[in-house]
Amino acid sequence: MSLATATPATAPEQLVAAGVRSALESVFDAVAATRADTTALLAKVAAQGRRPATVDLAALRPGLHLRLARHELVSGVGFVAAPGLLSDVPAWLEWWQSTSDGGIRPLLLDLDPEHSAYADYTHWDWFALPRDTGERAVAGPYVDYLCSDEYSLTLSAPVEVEGRFAGVAAADVYLRHFEAAVMPMLHQLPVPARLVNARGRVAASTDPRHLVGSLSKGPDFAEALAAGRAGYARGARLVPCDGVPLVLVMAER
Amino acid sequence: MNQQQHMNGGARKAVFAPVDNRARVDAVVGRLGDAIELGLLADGEQLPGESELAGQLGVSTVTLREALMALRQQGLVTTRRGRGGGSFVSLPEVPGEERLRVRLRSWSTEELRDLGDHWAALSSTAARLAAQRTEPEDLVQLRRTAEELTHAEGAAARGRVYGRFHVELAAAAQSARLTREQVALQTEVGALLCLVLGNDEYREEAAARHRSVISAVQDGAHDSARELAERCVQESTARLIAERLAL
Repeated sequence: MSLATATPATAPEQLVAAGVRSALESVFDAVAATRADTTALLAKVAAQGRRPATVDLAALRPGLHLRLARHELVSGVGFVAAPGLLSDVPAWLEWWQSTSDGGIRPLLLDLDPEHSAYADYTHWDWFALPRDTGERAVAGPYVDYLCSDEYSLTLSAPVEVEGRFAGVAAADVYLRHFEAAVMPMLHQLPVPARLVNARGRVAASTDPRHLVGSLSKGPDFAEALAAGRAGYARGARLVPCDGVPLVLVMAER
Repeated sequence: MNQQQHMNGGARKAVFAPVDNRARVDAVVGRLGDAIELGLLADGEQLPGESELAGQLGVSTVTLREALMALRQQGLVTTRRGRGGGSFVSLPEVPGEERLRVRLRSWSTEELRDLGDHWAALSSTAARLAAQRTEPEDLVQLRRTAEELTHAEGAAARGRVYGRFHVELAAAAQSARLTREQVALQTEVGALLCLVLGNDEYREEAAARHRSVISAVQDGAHDSARELAERCVQESTARLIAERLAL
Protein backbone atom coordinates (compact mmCIF):
# COMPACT_ATOMS: atom_id res chain seq x y z
CA MET A 1 0.00 0.00 0.00
CA SER A 2 1.33 3.43 -0.88
CA LEU A 3 2.55 5.57 1.99
CA ALA A 4 0.92 8.60 0.41
CA THR A 5 -2.60 7.42 1.10
CA ALA A 6 -3.49 9.18 4.31
CA THR A 7 -6.69 7.85 5.85
CA PRO A 8 -9.49 10.36 6.28
CA ALA A 9 -11.86 9.85 9.20
CA THR A 10 -14.69 8.69 6.96
CA ALA A 11 -12.62 6.14 5.03
CA PRO A 12 -14.63 3.07 4.01
CA GLU A 13 -12.74 0.96 6.55
CA GLN A 14 -13.89 3.26 9.34
CA LEU A 15 -17.47 3.07 8.14
CA VAL A 16 -17.29 -0.74 8.17
CA ALA A 17 -15.76 -0.80 11.67
CA ALA A 18 -18.49 1.57 12.86
CA GLY A 19 -21.18 -0.57 11.21
CA VAL A 20 -19.91 -3.77 12.87
CA ARG A 21 -19.68 -2.01 16.20
CA SER A 22 -23.21 -0.70 15.88
CA ALA A 23 -24.57 -4.18 14.98
CA LEU A 24 -22.99 -5.72 18.09
CA GLU A 25 -23.86 -2.72 20.29
CA SER A 26 -27.53 -3.37 19.52
CA VAL A 27 -27.02 -6.92 20.88
CA PHE A 28 -25.19 -5.51 23.91
CA ASP A 29 -28.28 -3.32 24.44
CA ALA A 30 -30.30 -6.52 24.90
CA VAL A 31 -27.62 -7.82 27.29
CA ALA A 32 -27.59 -4.55 29.24
CA ALA A 33 -31.39 -4.52 29.57
CA THR A 34 -31.34 -8.12 30.82
CA ARG A 35 -28.57 -7.25 33.23
CA ALA A 36 -30.51 -4.24 34.56
CA ASP A 37 -33.72 -6.28 35.03
CA THR A 38 -31.82 -9.07 36.77
CA THR A 39 -29.86 -6.75 39.02
CA ALA A 40 -33.06 -4.97 40.10
CA LEU A 41 -34.84 -8.27 40.68
CA LEU A 42 -32.02 -9.78 42.74
CA ALA A 43 -31.67 -6.57 44.76
CA LYS A 44 -35.41 -6.64 45.52
CA VAL A 45 -35.21 -10.25 46.70
CA ALA A 46 -32.13 -9.46 48.81
CA ALA A 47 -34.02 -6.56 50.41
CA GLN A 48 -36.66 -9.07 51.53
CA GLY A 49 -33.89 -10.82 53.42
CA ARG A 50 -34.06 -14.09 51.48
CA ARG A 51 -32.21 -15.94 48.75
CA PRO A 52 -33.60 -15.92 45.22
CA ALA A 53 -35.15 -19.07 43.72
CA THR A 54 -35.94 -20.14 40.16
CA VAL A 55 -39.54 -18.98 40.60
CA ASP A 56 -38.30 -15.39 41.13
CA LEU A 57 -36.52 -15.44 37.77
CA ALA A 58 -39.86 -15.93 35.99
CA ALA A 59 -40.28 -12.16 36.38
CA LEU A 60 -37.53 -11.73 33.77
CA ARG A 61 -39.53 -13.49 31.07
CA PRO A 62 -41.58 -10.61 29.60
CA GLY A 63 -38.38 -8.63 29.03
CA LEU A 64 -36.55 -11.61 27.55
CA HIS A 65 -39.43 -12.35 25.17
CA LEU A 66 -39.55 -8.72 24.10
CA ARG A 67 -35.82 -8.69 23.33
CA LEU A 68 -36.06 -11.88 21.25
CA ALA A 69 -38.86 -10.28 19.25
CA ARG A 70 -37.20 -6.89 18.82
CA HIS A 71 -33.56 -7.73 18.18
CA GLU A 72 -33.19 -9.33 14.80
CA LEU A 73 -29.69 -10.62 15.52
CA VAL A 74 -30.54 -12.15 18.88
CA SER A 75 -31.58 -15.84 18.82
CA GLY A 76 -31.19 -16.59 22.52
CA VAL A 77 -31.17 -14.37 25.61
CA GLY A 78 -31.25 -14.76 29.34
CA PHE A 79 -29.59 -14.85 32.72
CA VAL A 80 -27.18 -17.60 33.76
CA ALA A 81 -26.94 -17.92 37.52
CA ALA A 82 -23.65 -18.47 39.29
CA PRO A 83 -23.75 -21.93 40.92
CA GLY A 84 -25.05 -21.58 44.48
CA LEU A 85 -26.96 -18.36 43.85
CA LEU A 86 -30.42 -19.90 43.91
CA SER A 87 -31.92 -21.58 46.95
CA ASP A 88 -33.78 -24.39 45.16
CA VAL A 89 -31.30 -25.62 42.50
CA PRO A 90 -27.50 -25.83 42.34
CA ALA A 91 -27.33 -24.16 38.89
CA TRP A 92 -29.73 -22.54 36.46
CA LEU A 93 -30.13 -20.86 33.08
CA GLU A 94 -33.20 -18.66 32.68
CA TRP A 95 -32.76 -18.85 28.93
CA TRP A 96 -35.12 -18.29 26.03
CA GLN A 97 -34.57 -19.01 22.34
CA SER A 98 -36.28 -18.21 19.06
CA THR A 99 -37.47 -21.25 17.13
CA SER A 100 -37.18 -21.75 13.37
CA ASP A 101 -40.94 -21.24 12.98
CA GLY A 102 -40.83 -17.81 14.60
CA GLY A 103 -41.90 -18.86 18.11
CA ILE A 104 -39.97 -18.79 21.35
CA ARG A 105 -39.15 -21.55 23.82
CA PRO A 106 -37.32 -21.90 27.11
CA LEU A 107 -34.06 -23.83 27.19
CA LEU A 108 -34.41 -26.65 29.69
CA LEU A 109 -31.09 -28.28 30.42
CA ASP A 110 -30.28 -31.21 32.61
CA LEU A 111 -27.80 -29.66 35.03
CA ASP A 112 -27.53 -32.66 37.32
CA PRO A 113 -23.93 -33.92 37.18
CA GLU A 114 -25.20 -37.43 37.99
CA HIS A 115 -26.91 -37.55 34.58
CA SER A 116 -25.21 -35.08 32.34
CA ALA A 117 -21.59 -34.70 31.34
CA TYR A 118 -22.43 -31.09 30.43
CA ALA A 119 -23.80 -29.93 33.77
CA ASP A 120 -20.95 -27.54 34.60
CA TYR A 121 -21.14 -24.41 32.46
CA THR A 122 -18.72 -22.24 34.43
CA HIS A 123 -15.71 -22.84 32.14
CA TRP A 124 -17.37 -21.49 28.97
CA ASP A 125 -15.91 -18.16 27.85
CA TRP A 126 -19.31 -16.42 27.96
CA PHE A 127 -19.47 -17.17 31.68
CA ALA A 128 -15.80 -17.11 32.72
CA LEU A 129 -14.75 -13.88 30.93
CA PRO A 130 -17.30 -11.53 32.59
CA ARG A 131 -16.80 -13.32 35.93
CA ASP A 132 -13.02 -12.97 35.83
CA THR A 133 -12.73 -9.48 34.31
CA GLY A 134 -15.90 -7.78 35.58
CA GLU A 135 -16.32 -6.50 32.01
CA ARG A 136 -18.71 -7.32 29.20
CA ALA A 137 -17.35 -9.85 26.69
CA VAL A 138 -17.82 -11.41 23.27
CA ALA A 139 -17.26 -15.17 23.23
CA GLY A 140 -16.69 -17.03 19.98
CA PRO A 141 -17.08 -17.81 17.21
CA TYR A 142 -17.59 -21.26 18.80
CA VAL A 143 -19.80 -24.32 18.44
CA ASP A 144 -22.43 -23.98 21.16
CA TYR A 145 -23.27 -27.62 21.88
CA LEU A 146 -24.73 -26.72 25.27
CA CYS A 147 -27.65 -24.52 24.24
CA SER A 148 -28.25 -24.19 20.50
CA ASP A 149 -26.00 -26.59 18.54
CA GLU A 150 -25.18 -23.57 16.40
CA TYR A 151 -21.95 -21.84 15.44
CA SER A 152 -22.35 -18.69 17.49
CA LEU A 153 -21.14 -15.53 19.13
CA THR A 154 -22.30 -15.01 22.70
CA LEU A 155 -22.26 -11.52 24.17
CA SER A 156 -22.37 -11.34 27.94
CA ALA A 157 -21.97 -9.05 30.95
CA PRO A 158 -21.56 -9.75 34.67
CA VAL A 159 -24.49 -9.33 37.06
CA GLU A 160 -23.60 -8.31 40.58
CA VAL A 161 -25.60 -8.09 43.77
CA GLU A 162 -24.18 -6.19 46.72
CA GLY A 163 -20.78 -6.22 45.03
CA ARG A 164 -20.77 -9.99 44.54
CA PHE A 165 -20.81 -11.85 41.23
CA ALA A 166 -24.25 -13.43 40.77
CA GLY A 167 -24.04 -14.69 37.18
CA VAL A 168 -24.10 -13.32 33.65
CA ALA A 169 -26.67 -11.69 31.40
CA ALA A 170 -26.10 -12.88 27.84
CA ALA A 171 -27.39 -13.02 24.27
CA ASP A 172 -26.60 -15.45 21.43
CA VAL A 173 -26.01 -14.40 17.84
CA TYR A 174 -25.81 -17.23 15.31
CA LEU A 175 -22.85 -16.76 12.99
CA ARG A 176 -25.03 -17.09 9.89
CA HIS A 177 -27.13 -14.13 11.08
CA PHE A 178 -24.02 -12.12 11.97
CA GLU A 179 -22.63 -12.88 8.53
CA ALA A 180 -25.82 -11.69 6.84
CA ALA A 181 -25.58 -8.43 8.80
CA VAL A 182 -21.93 -7.60 8.11
CA MET A 183 -21.21 -9.05 4.65
CA PRO A 184 -22.87 -6.18 2.74
CA MET A 185 -20.48 -3.83 4.57
CA LEU A 186 -17.38 -5.97 3.94
CA HIS A 187 -18.28 -6.19 0.26
CA GLN A 188 -18.04 -2.42 -0.03
CA LEU A 189 -14.34 -2.50 0.71
CA PRO A 190 -11.99 -2.44 -2.29
CA VAL A 191 -9.98 -5.47 -1.09
CA PRO A 192 -10.78 -8.87 0.46
CA ALA A 193 -11.42 -8.38 4.16
CA ARG A 194 -12.31 -10.31 7.32
CA LEU A 195 -13.34 -9.75 10.90
CA VAL A 196 -11.32 -11.64 13.51
CA ASN A 197 -11.58 -11.89 17.29
CA ALA A 198 -8.76 -11.17 19.74
CA ARG A 199 -7.41 -14.70 19.30
CA GLY A 200 -7.41 -14.49 15.50
CA ARG A 201 -10.55 -16.57 14.89
CA VAL A 202 -12.36 -15.40 11.73
CA ALA A 203 -15.98 -14.36 12.36
CA ALA A 204 -16.84 -13.15 8.83
CA SER A 205 -14.82 -12.94 5.63
CA THR A 206 -14.92 -11.91 1.99
CA ASP A 207 -11.49 -13.48 1.54
CA PRO A 208 -11.69 -17.10 0.28
CA ARG A 209 -8.21 -17.76 1.69
CA HIS A 210 -9.48 -17.04 5.20
CA LEU A 211 -12.73 -18.88 5.91
CA VAL A 212 -15.04 -18.34 8.86
CA GLY A 213 -13.86 -20.42 11.82
CA SER A 214 -10.25 -20.57 10.66
CA LEU A 215 -7.40 -18.98 12.61
CA SER A 216 -5.44 -16.03 11.29
CA LYS A 217 -1.92 -16.42 12.59
CA GLY A 218 0.77 -13.79 12.71
CA PRO A 219 -0.45 -10.38 13.84
CA ASP A 220 -1.26 -9.92 17.52
CA PHE A 221 -4.92 -9.00 17.31
CA ALA A 222 -5.31 -8.53 21.06
CA GLU A 223 -2.57 -5.91 20.86
CA ALA A 224 -4.28 -4.20 17.92
CA LEU A 225 -7.50 -4.04 19.98
CA ALA A 226 -5.66 -2.65 22.99
CA ALA A 227 -3.97 0.00 20.82
CA GLY A 228 -7.43 1.13 19.67
CA ARG A 229 -6.31 2.60 16.35
CA ALA A 230 -5.74 1.38 12.83
CA GLY A 231 -2.30 0.21 11.76
CA TYR A 232 -0.36 -2.31 9.73
CA ALA A 233 0.99 -5.69 10.76
CA ARG A 234 2.71 -8.23 8.51
CA GLY A 235 1.44 -6.52 5.42
CA ALA A 236 -2.20 -6.41 6.48
CA ARG A 237 -4.23 -3.40 7.49
CA LEU A 238 -5.78 -3.85 10.96
CA VAL A 239 -8.71 -1.69 12.03
CA PRO A 240 -10.12 -2.32 15.52
CA CYS A 241 -13.91 -1.98 15.85
CA ASP A 242 -13.61 0.18 18.98
CA GLY A 243 -15.72 -0.97 21.86
CA VAL A 244 -16.28 -4.48 20.52
CA PRO A 245 -13.41 -7.01 20.44
CA LEU A 246 -13.24 -7.57 16.67
CA VAL A 247 -10.55 -6.41 14.26
CA LEU A 248 -11.20 -5.66 10.59
CA VAL A 249 -8.30 -7.16 8.62
CA MET A 250 -7.71 -6.15 5.02
CA ALA A 251 -5.34 -7.81 2.61
CA GLU A 252 -2.85 -5.56 0.92
CA ARG A 253 -3.85 -4.54 -2.53
CA MET B 1 -35.62 -31.27 38.98
CA ASN B 2 -38.87 -31.54 37.03
CA GLN B 3 -39.60 -33.76 34.09
CA GLN B 4 -39.27 -31.05 31.47
CA GLN B 5 -35.71 -30.34 32.48
CA HIS B 6 -34.84 -33.97 32.06
CA MET B 7 -36.28 -34.02 28.57
CA ASN B 8 -33.95 -31.46 27.03
CA GLY B 9 -30.44 -30.28 26.47
CA GLY B 10 -27.07 -31.53 25.27
CA ALA B 11 -26.89 -35.20 24.44
CA ARG B 12 -30.44 -35.63 25.70
CA LYS B 13 -31.83 -33.77 22.72
CA ALA B 14 -30.65 -36.58 20.48
CA VAL B 15 -32.40 -39.14 22.66
CA PHE B 16 -35.78 -37.90 21.47
CA ALA B 17 -34.89 -37.13 17.84
CA PRO B 18 -36.81 -39.14 15.21
CA VAL B 19 -35.59 -42.70 14.64
CA ASP B 20 -35.24 -44.20 11.17
CA ASN B 21 -37.68 -46.54 9.45
CA ARG B 22 -35.84 -49.80 9.94
CA ALA B 23 -36.84 -51.86 12.92
CA ARG B 24 -38.52 -49.01 14.68
CA VAL B 25 -39.45 -50.91 17.79
CA ASP B 26 -35.84 -52.04 18.23
CA ALA B 27 -34.62 -48.53 17.56
CA VAL B 28 -36.90 -47.06 20.23
CA VAL B 29 -35.96 -49.79 22.71
CA GLY B 30 -32.28 -49.20 22.01
CA ARG B 31 -32.52 -45.44 22.23
CA LEU B 32 -34.46 -45.28 25.48
CA GLY B 33 -32.62 -48.26 26.98
CA ASP B 34 -29.24 -46.66 26.27
CA ALA B 35 -30.40 -43.35 27.72
CA ILE B 36 -31.46 -45.14 30.90
CA GLU B 37 -28.15 -47.04 31.12
CA LEU B 38 -26.23 -43.81 30.69
CA GLY B 39 -28.26 -42.07 33.36
CA LEU B 40 -29.59 -39.52 30.85
CA LEU B 41 -33.02 -40.63 32.03
CA ALA B 42 -33.00 -40.98 35.77
CA ASP B 43 -34.41 -43.73 37.95
CA GLY B 44 -38.01 -42.80 38.77
CA GLU B 45 -38.26 -40.17 36.06
CA GLN B 46 -41.60 -40.00 34.25
CA LEU B 47 -41.49 -40.34 30.47
CA PRO B 48 -43.61 -37.97 28.37
CA GLY B 49 -47.15 -39.15 27.56
CA GLU B 50 -47.44 -41.82 24.89
CA SER B 51 -48.69 -39.60 22.09
CA GLU B 52 -46.18 -36.85 22.87
CA LEU B 53 -43.28 -39.29 23.09
CA ALA B 54 -44.35 -41.07 19.90
CA GLY B 55 -44.52 -37.69 18.16
CA GLN B 56 -41.05 -36.67 19.34
CA LEU B 57 -39.54 -39.97 18.26
CA GLY B 58 -41.41 -39.94 14.96
CA VAL B 59 -43.07 -43.33 15.47
CA SER B 60 -46.69 -44.42 15.72
CA THR B 61 -48.18 -44.92 19.19
CA VAL B 62 -48.53 -48.61 18.38
CA THR B 63 -44.78 -48.87 17.76
CA LEU B 64 -44.08 -46.93 20.92
CA ARG B 65 -46.31 -49.24 22.99
CA GLU B 66 -44.49 -52.30 21.69
CA ALA B 67 -41.18 -50.67 22.58
CA LEU B 68 -42.41 -49.77 26.06
CA MET B 69 -43.56 -53.35 26.51
CA ALA B 70 -40.08 -54.61 25.62
CA LEU B 71 -38.53 -52.10 28.03
CA ARG B 72 -40.92 -53.28 30.75
CA GLN B 73 -39.82 -56.85 30.11
CA GLN B 74 -36.21 -55.74 30.49
CA GLY B 75 -37.22 -54.08 33.75
CA LEU B 76 -36.16 -50.62 32.58
CA VAL B 77 -39.63 -49.07 32.59
CA THR B 78 -42.64 -49.50 34.83
CA THR B 79 -46.13 -48.33 33.95
CA ARG B 80 -48.64 -47.11 36.50
CA ARG B 81 -52.30 -46.73 35.61
CA GLY B 82 -54.80 -44.10 36.58
CA ARG B 83 -54.39 -40.62 38.01
CA GLY B 84 -50.73 -39.62 38.23
CA GLY B 85 -49.94 -42.70 36.16
CA GLY B 86 -47.71 -43.09 33.14
CA SER B 87 -44.43 -44.72 32.25
CA PHE B 88 -41.51 -44.34 34.62
CA VAL B 89 -37.84 -45.17 34.35
CA SER B 90 -36.91 -47.93 36.76
CA LEU B 91 -33.49 -49.36 37.28
CA PRO B 92 -33.85 -53.00 38.30
CA GLU B 93 -31.68 -54.76 40.84
CA VAL B 94 -29.85 -56.74 38.16
CA PRO B 95 -26.30 -55.36 37.81
CA GLY B 96 -26.01 -52.72 35.08
CA GLU B 97 -23.31 -54.67 33.34
CA GLU B 98 -25.62 -57.64 32.85
CA ARG B 99 -28.27 -55.44 31.26
CA LEU B 100 -25.67 -53.84 29.01
CA ARG B 101 -24.61 -57.27 27.78
CA VAL B 102 -28.24 -57.96 26.84
CA ARG B 103 -28.20 -54.72 24.90
CA LEU B 104 -24.89 -55.50 23.24
CA ARG B 105 -26.29 -58.83 22.09
CA SER B 106 -28.86 -56.93 19.99
CA TRP B 107 -25.99 -55.54 17.88
CA SER B 108 -24.42 -57.71 15.18
CA THR B 109 -20.65 -57.46 14.80
CA GLU B 110 -21.28 -55.96 11.36
CA GLU B 111 -23.39 -53.20 12.91
CA LEU B 112 -20.76 -52.53 15.55
CA ARG B 113 -18.03 -52.41 12.91
CA ASP B 114 -20.13 -49.96 10.87
CA LEU B 115 -20.85 -47.82 13.94
CA GLY B 116 -17.10 -47.72 14.57
CA ASP B 117 -16.43 -46.70 10.96
CA HIS B 118 -18.88 -43.81 11.22
CA TRP B 119 -17.43 -42.73 14.55
CA ALA B 120 -13.84 -42.98 13.29
CA ALA B 121 -14.74 -40.85 10.27
CA LEU B 122 -16.23 -38.15 12.51
CA SER B 123 -13.51 -38.09 15.14
CA SER B 124 -10.52 -38.35 12.82
CA THR B 125 -11.80 -35.50 10.64
CA ALA B 126 -12.60 -33.45 13.73
CA ALA B 127 -9.06 -34.02 15.06
CA ARG B 128 -7.48 -32.96 11.76
CA LEU B 129 -9.57 -29.78 11.54
CA ALA B 130 -9.06 -28.98 15.21
CA ALA B 131 -5.28 -29.19 14.70
CA GLN B 132 -5.60 -26.64 11.91
CA ARG B 133 -8.03 -24.34 13.68
CA THR B 134 -7.18 -24.56 17.31
CA GLU B 135 -5.69 -22.06 19.68
CA PRO B 136 -4.62 -22.78 23.27
CA GLU B 137 -7.93 -21.75 24.87
CA ASP B 138 -9.78 -24.36 22.79
CA LEU B 139 -7.79 -27.10 24.49
CA VAL B 140 -8.72 -26.19 28.04
CA GLN B 141 -12.02 -28.12 27.92
CA LEU B 142 -10.45 -31.14 26.22
CA ARG B 143 -7.67 -31.28 28.83
CA ARG B 144 -10.17 -31.06 31.65
CA THR B 145 -12.17 -33.90 30.11
CA ALA B 146 -9.10 -36.13 29.63
CA GLU B 147 -8.20 -35.42 33.24
CA GLU B 148 -11.73 -36.26 34.42
CA LEU B 149 -11.60 -39.58 32.60
CA THR B 150 -8.55 -40.61 34.63
CA HIS B 151 -10.51 -39.98 37.84
CA ALA B 152 -14.08 -40.94 36.88
CA GLU B 153 -15.45 -43.71 39.06
CA GLY B 154 -18.15 -45.98 37.75
CA ALA B 155 -18.59 -47.19 34.20
CA ALA B 156 -21.51 -44.84 33.42
CA ALA B 157 -19.56 -41.72 34.39
CA ARG B 158 -16.60 -42.93 32.34
CA GLY B 159 -18.83 -43.50 29.32
CA ARG B 160 -20.25 -39.95 29.59
CA VAL B 161 -16.85 -38.28 29.94
CA TYR B 162 -15.35 -40.39 27.15
CA GLY B 163 -18.20 -39.30 24.87
CA ARG B 164 -17.82 -35.67 25.87
CA PHE B 165 -14.20 -35.75 24.74
CA HIS B 166 -15.28 -36.61 21.21
CA VAL B 167 -18.02 -33.95 21.23
CA GLU B 168 -15.54 -31.32 22.41
CA LEU B 169 -13.08 -32.41 19.74
CA ALA B 170 -15.75 -31.80 17.09
CA ALA B 171 -16.47 -28.38 18.61
CA ALA B 172 -12.75 -27.55 18.52
CA ALA B 173 -12.93 -28.30 14.78
CA GLN B 174 -15.36 -25.34 14.62
CA SER B 175 -17.94 -27.53 12.89
CA ALA B 176 -21.54 -27.44 14.15
CA ARG B 177 -22.50 -30.32 11.84
CA LEU B 178 -19.72 -32.64 13.00
CA THR B 179 -20.59 -31.73 16.59
CA ARG B 180 -24.29 -32.54 16.15
CA GLU B 181 -23.41 -35.86 14.46
CA GLN B 182 -21.02 -36.71 17.26
CA VAL B 183 -23.62 -35.92 19.95
CA ALA B 184 -26.13 -38.20 18.19
CA LEU B 185 -23.54 -40.95 17.76
CA GLN B 186 -22.50 -40.82 21.40
CA THR B 187 -26.08 -41.46 22.52
CA GLU B 188 -25.86 -44.77 20.58
CA VAL B 189 -22.37 -45.87 21.49
CA GLY B 190 -22.01 -44.30 24.93
CA ALA B 191 -23.93 -46.91 26.91
CA LEU B 192 -22.09 -49.78 25.21
CA LEU B 193 -18.74 -48.17 25.93
CA CYS B 194 -19.44 -48.50 29.63
CA LEU B 195 -18.78 -52.22 29.13
CA VAL B 196 -15.18 -51.68 28.05
CA LEU B 197 -14.44 -48.61 30.19
CA GLY B 198 -15.28 -50.44 33.41
CA ASN B 199 -11.85 -52.02 33.03
CA ASP B 200 -9.37 -49.71 34.84
CA GLU B 201 -6.49 -50.63 32.62
CA TYR B 202 -8.39 -49.78 29.45
CA ARG B 203 -9.78 -46.60 30.99
CA GLU B 204 -6.17 -45.49 31.59
CA GLU B 205 -5.20 -46.44 28.04
CA ALA B 206 -8.15 -44.46 26.64
CA ALA B 207 -7.22 -41.41 28.74
CA ALA B 208 -3.62 -41.68 27.46
CA ARG B 209 -4.90 -41.87 23.88
CA HIS B 210 -7.00 -38.75 24.48
CA ARG B 211 -3.98 -36.92 25.86
CA SER B 212 -1.93 -37.84 22.80
CA VAL B 213 -4.68 -36.52 20.51
CA ILE B 214 -4.65 -33.25 22.47
CA SER B 215 -0.87 -32.95 22.12
CA ALA B 216 -1.02 -33.47 18.36
CA VAL B 217 -3.86 -30.93 18.06
CA GLN B 218 -1.88 -28.45 20.12
CA ASP B 219 1.20 -28.92 17.92
CA GLY B 220 -0.90 -28.35 14.81
CA ALA B 221 0.21 -31.81 13.65
CA HIS B 222 -3.00 -32.44 11.75
CA ASP B 223 -2.03 -35.74 10.13
CA SER B 224 -0.97 -37.36 13.36
CA ALA B 225 -3.97 -35.87 15.20
CA ARG B 226 -6.22 -37.54 12.64
CA GLU B 227 -4.39 -40.87 12.93
CA LEU B 228 -4.34 -40.85 16.72
CA ALA B 229 -8.05 -40.06 16.96
CA GLU B 230 -8.85 -42.77 14.43
CA ARG B 231 -6.79 -45.33 16.34
CA CYS B 232 -8.47 -44.35 19.60
CA VAL B 233 -11.90 -45.04 18.09
CA GLN B 234 -10.77 -48.22 16.35
CA GLU B 235 -9.39 -49.61 19.58
CA SER B 236 -12.65 -48.95 21.44
CA THR B 237 -14.67 -50.50 18.62
CA ALA B 238 -12.39 -53.55 18.51
CA ARG B 239 -12.87 -54.05 22.25
CA LEU B 240 -16.64 -53.75 21.90
CA ILE B 241 -16.65 -56.33 19.11
CA ALA B 242 -14.48 -58.66 21.20
CA GLU B 243 -17.03 -58.30 24.04
CA ARG B 244 -19.83 -59.06 21.59
CA LEU B 245 -18.06 -62.18 20.27
CA ALA B 246 -17.52 -63.43 23.81
CA LEU B 247 -21.27 -63.35 24.58
